[in-house]
Amino acid sequence: MKPRTILAIVFITLGLVMAAIPQNTTHPYKLTPEQLLEQVNSGIQYFSPDQIADMIIKEDPSFLLIDVRSLDEYEEFHLPGAVNIPLPDLLSDEWKPYLNQDVRHNIFYSNSTVKANEAWMITLQLGYKNNYVLQGGLNYWVETIMNPEAPEATNPNEEIAKYNFRKGAGMKLGGAATVTEESNAQPLPSLPKIAPQTNKKRVQGGC
Amino acid sequence: MGPLISYDIISQNSNFLFAFLIGIGFGFVLEASGFSSSRKLAGVFYGYDTVVLKVFFTAAITGMIGLLFLSLFNWINLDLVYIKPTFLYSTIAGGIIMGAGFIIGGFCPGTSFCAASIGKIDAMFFIGGMLVGVLIFAEAFPLLEDFYYAKNLGIPTLSEKLGLKDGVVVLGIIIVAMGMFWAGEWAEKKFPREEY
Repeated sequence: MKPRTILAIVFITLGLVMAAIPQNTTHPYKLTPEQLLEQVNSGIQYFSPDQIADMIIKEDPSFLLIDVRSLDEYEEFHLPGAVNIPLPDLLSDEWKPYLNQDVRHNIFYSNSTVKANEAWMITLQLGYKNNYVLQGGLNYWVETIMNPEAPEATNPNEEIAKYNFRKGAGMKLGGAATVTEESNAQPLPSLPKIAPQTNKKRVQGGC
Repeated sequence: MGPLISYDIISQNSNFLFAFLIGIGFGFVLEASGFSSSRKLAGVFYGYDTVVLKVFFTAAITGMIGLLFLSLFNWINLDLVYIKPTFLYSTIAGGIIMGAGFIIGGFCPGTSFCAASIGKIDAMFFIGGMLVGVLIFAEAFPLLEDFYYAKNLGIPTLSEKLGLKDGVVVLGIIIVAMGMFWAGEWAEKKFPREEY
């Protein structure tokens, strides 16, 4: 038999095998347990309440607060501009464009950090980028921003500056945030302009 | 080396090194298989030598089978493989220009460098013409921009368009390729040339 005939038979056989087996629709995990542990240990998912308060006051458009608590809790109190994605609804298609995007920082928060971290881990494992967690959750937010504790006069200047910032931020945000008198139906913020395409950057190539 | 960069296993700079080494290998094999001869390359349009068709289609089906099998074993994530977006009109226009250049010049861009490296003067002129073309295109780009980006189809794949499984499309393409190889051999017998 000529080599080309053999080659043709090999190709067609492989093609038949390929056609016969079902399509592989499973996606490998994006992170290994070691990588996940490294991320968790480094704590890079956290935004501190001070950073968030600063961004809210400056009306920074580059972030979106996501309340992962239930709707009732959200209606009772939520941070200004936050949208409500209850944890059980996290994977619904409605929210995918908000979570899987490459434009804005999403910051999850819940009362503590447990639910927010759960949401963060799920989105991380899905390969979504730009998802973060509010450090300490709402409890810590109330403690630091709403009712900051005055440092003693002997503290270093930075501590006092921090306190002054928190007091100012608390006064600005407290009025609007603690009593949400305006309608509870928070209008959804616009979607990021650049539609999400892939989980990871594709590498361009050519001949 | 695509997936390795996506996962930051190797850096962009190391990628250039690998690209360089693979490029040398590619050029060597091209030259060794006679692809630096413009007569051989142009032969595919006249039917007396269809080695170009056979080599590139073999490469395509080999790569296709390899990628699909690797993805089946979860060794490669096909989502990370870059597929060029299709801009329909500019693709058609580009194909016509490329084909015409191929017939007239007797080289495609890669093989012209391959032939120039072994000292073929026509290939050097071909490269010069290519650079002039690149310059004209770059300068005229503002005029061509609308046409260039017209009719963006995204990244359509045959399996999506036909609504078939990837594997079935692969089998179909392999069969089509075999048919083309057979037709190529037939053409070589039908339009033989003694010396080229």
